[in-house]
Amino acid sequence: MQKTLKRYFPIFVLPTLIAFSFAFIIPFVMGVYLSFCKFKTITNAQFVGLENYIKIFADKDFVNAFGFTLKFSVVSIITINVFAFILALALTRKIKGTNLFRTVFFMPNLIGGIILGYIWQQMINAVLLKYETTLVANPTYGFWGLIILMNWQMIGYMMIIYVAGLQNVPTDLIEAAEIDGATSLQTLFKVKIPMVMPSITICLFLTVSNSFKLFDQNLALTAGAPSKKTAMLALDIYNTFYGRSGFEGVGQAKAVLFFIVVAVIALGQLVLTRRKEVEQ
Amino acid sequence: MTKKKTSNVIIFCILCVLVVAFLTPIFFVLINSFKGKLFISNNPFALPTAETFAGLTNYVNGIEKTGFFTAFGWSAFITVFSVAAIILFTSMTAYYLTRVKTGVTNVLYYMFVFSMIVPFQMVMFTMSKLANMTHLNNPPGMVLLYLGFGSGLSVFMFCGFIKSIPLDIEEAAMIDGCNPLQTFFGVVMPILKPTAITVAILNAMWIWNDYLLPYLVIGLSTNYKTIPVVVQYLVGSYGAKDLGAMMALLVLSVIPIIVFYLTCQKYIIEGVVAGAVKG
Amino acid sequence: MKKKLASVLLCAVMAASMLTGCGNSGDAAATTPATDSKTDAATTEAVETTAAADGSVYYLNFKPEVDEVWQKLAKEYTEETGVPVKVVTAASGTYEQTLMSEIANTEAPTLFQINGPIGYKNWKDYCADLKDTDLYSWLMDKSLAITGEDGGVYGIPYVVEGYGIIYNDAIMQKYFALDGAKAASMDEINNFAKLKEVVEDMQARKDELGIEGVFASTSLTPGEDWRWQTHLANIPVYYEYKDKGITDTDNLEFTYSDNFKNIFDLYINNSCTAPGLLGSKSVDDSMAEFALGQVAMVQNGNWAWGQISGVDGNTVKAEDVKFLPIYTGVEGEENQGLCTGTENFFCINKEASAEDQAASIAFVEWLFSSETGKAAVTNDLGFIAPFDTFTDAEKPTDPLAQEVLRYMADSSKTSVSWNFTSFPSQQFKDDFGAALLEYASGSIDWDSVKQTVVDRWAAEKAAIAAN
Repeated sequence: MQKTLKRYFPIFVLPTLIAFSFAFIIPFVMGVYLSFCKFKTITNAQFVGLENYIKIFADKDFVNAFGFTLKFSVVSIITINVFAFILALALTRKIKGTNLFRTVFFMPNLIGGIILGYIWQQMINAVLLKYETTLVANPTYGFWGLIILMNWQMIGYMMIIYVAGLQNVPTDLIEAAEIDGATSLQTLFKVKIPMVMPSITICLFLTVSNSFKLFDQNLALTAGAPSKKTAMLALDIYNTFYGRSGFEGVGQAKAVLFFIVVAVIALGQLVLTRRKEVEQ
Repeated sequence: MTKKKTSNVIIFCILCVLVVAFLTPIFFVLINSFKGKLFISNNPFALPTAETFAGLTNYVNGIEKTGFFTAFGWSAFITVFSVAAIILFTSMTAYYLTRVKTGVTNVLYYMFVFSMIVPFQMVMFTMSKLANMTHLNNPPGMVLLYLGFGSGLSVFMFCGFIKSIPLDIEEAAMIDGCNPLQTFFGVVMPILKPTAITVAILNAMWIWNDYLLPYLVIGLSTNYKTIPVVVQYLVGSYGAKDLGAMMALLVLSVIPIIVFYLTCQKYIIEGVVAGAVKG
Repeated sequence: MKKKLASVLLCAVMAASMLTGCGNSGDAAATTPATDSKTDAATTEAVETTAAADGSVYYLNFKPEVDEVWQKLAKEYTEETGVPVKVVTAASGTYEQTLMSEIANTEAPTLFQINGPIGYKNWKDYCADLKDTDLYSWLMDKSLAITGEDGGVYGIPYVVEGYGIIYNDAIMQKYFALDGAKAASMDEINNFAKLKEVVEDMQARKDELGIEGVFASTSLTPGEDWRWQTHLANIPVYYEYKDKGITDTDNLEFTYSDNFKNIFDLYINNSCTAPGLLGSKSVDDSMAEFALGQVAMVQNGNWAWGQISGVDGNTVKAEDVKFLPIYTGVEGEENQGLCTGTENFFCINKEASAEDQAASIAFVEWLFSSETGKAAVTNDLGFIAPFDTFTDAEKPTDPLAQEVLRYMADSSKTSVSWNFTSFPSQQFKDDFGAALLEYASGSIDWDSVKQTVVDRWAAEKAAIAAN
């Protein structure tokens, strides 16, 4: 069978491969190369070695954005997962209206980042109006605004995954624990959480990569204001590229660094997950 | 058991409060979309009164300023055709990569997987420039780009599923005289349906809401702007020039998503769970 | 059998979809050579008029407040000549950014604008030489144009504008009539000390005057802060340049920072909006407040007339709208006039096809020479155009433009030139604006603002020099 199928390469693989080359392979290779160049358009690049990378570390905005992204990621990952898990526990108690709750909690997830960003920008400004201040007056507001926004968007998604995980916990296990006199907290920590570990890893993975790569929401909510103190990495890279001419190379170099950071995190998680799976 | 019942009642009440909290932003935007643009910032939580009620002015303004319906059309066009292309071509590719084991297919498979972890910013500049040079800066070109950029996750998910399909069925089909295309579409594709739905939903969610790719590739000058692009265009960098039109546009952007969600809820939620578990 | 049929059908569908896929790319390929050959033909013919008729115009507009006028003009021109004109407006404060991403597209703007010599440095690769155009020959003061080192003309100013403090004379007269008013007429207000005295008294008696504050909101939303980080900042820079006898510098000392603070504090503390809320206000909001009679003063330029008159339910009468120079407490400012100049220079994208370039030039020339065009420029855009195709009767009649003309004609007043065309970059302005926002909301003190200005100026000038 393999042999006959092999001849069908042009039909089975080629269309995808062509698209993949245009959208990914060529831009990626060019991107890596251009990060060592000075250029305005991709056709007039001039090799400058590591100059772009050296410039990055002199760029306070990038360092700032890195710190902000890190801080944001940690807080949002924790809050989203804790709240989503609590909601999932509540929704697996066979309470009336569970379906309605699930529907509502999941809905924000489908709304695009740009639109979500503006909805929350208006909401938060309306609330802050009472305190005679605005979202962009202080980076702390922008930070918590982003956290609230991301919680609103992601909790439903993660909750669904946790619900699926919790439903797979065998009921006899829980009953056995209860018969043994375990309190509900003990059942939670000793039985339920260990049993849904796979779901937790998935959710962590999704929230980590979502938080780290966040762009649309950031752009719409504060666009980095005030003074770029709420700009995350993706936005900082975008600003470097398109903020003014002459910095395309630095922008590309930042993008390469960003890619490496994301890749390291993803691989790190993969390794951790694998190890967990082996243990089980 | 009564203890459990009372705690359930309490939880029910908390959940109800949360539902209201979750829906507040949507209602907030809806209410304000009917107020005159100068009244919104003064008392944003009030319901429209006779003085502040603006009827459909904001909607008319918003639609006129942005060409919202055209944008809706292009968003729909790009999403539908991209998703169709992704389903068709990546499932075939995944089938080939799983069934034909050579060095080349192995390398290709890992390249697709690799592309999943690469952030868009890495290829943003070069991809949009390349798209321009090769005249892909139009809706059909966008379909090609989405097929390319979406193929990583989709190939990966299809491969994961195809691996679990026993070879016997396909071999039987081959013996019956089916060529690989017939085998794939007649035998494998129907089995792939659940995965295909998952892949379709994940990609549709991404493409419909995507902002940066259409903005950079298509730009502002053409009539091919998608919904996120026109929203961002109307609202500008941060400040809103016309708050009323902005609110109206936000409502208009959210409505199709909610309608779609409520009609296909089952598939969407299942798709997301399946996608998460496999991805 | 059924199965077989199904698979055959599916194959057919797939083949068809692949074919259409090819068809599309084929189309794109087919159109390219066609346009290319047209370009060749146009260049060989080198006849501007015929070429212009084949081209199309894409103008990236800088001023959101007159977007509607441009859209209307574009339509009229297309109806008259059949040449398609597309106008896209960049969001406030994002012009350079939008231009960056748009100009690299195949459908790039054919007509765009730069804000002066600094803008020219950034965009010189795209600016066509306009020396031989009629437009340049019409320019009254040739020294205003942007010229390159090779003597070519790369940017032509198309509007002269003025800004200052716009005030509502009806409210002022009401104040002067009050008991114990600090002044009896506007003529007495000719320096900062007097202005401050009057403003603070007016603010204290705002209920008597029926206003919500003296000044309209100092809009500090990012992108809406150009009235402060660019226009107001021009004044201290103007005086610093004047002291040093220079027109540009790599290191601004910001010696007149206290003067900036004087007027800025006056603006934010005597306003209808609490300082903390300024981060959500837009220029539109400020102009609406003024138009509705809620405030007596607002800093802006003559281009704002359209915004004032366009507000629904506006109460301010045209004859009551007047300009006051921006006093900041500099010695000898009694003779200071309005800030007049230009930061709007038309450029033609030289990367555009020859017929598009010709079409764009023809469009601009139509705008400043045809009856329809001139009428729109004068009445709808309210431009004081620096071209000799405009007669005295064709000067704008709106009250603010009249005021600008009056101040320019008054020999006892010295106009403040527009030195912000030498500001290093949009980045610098944005950083300055952000610092002002933080200062207004109380998170940083004035020294930090001053430090930001000095540091960012030097850094941005260095960044440009390094390019």
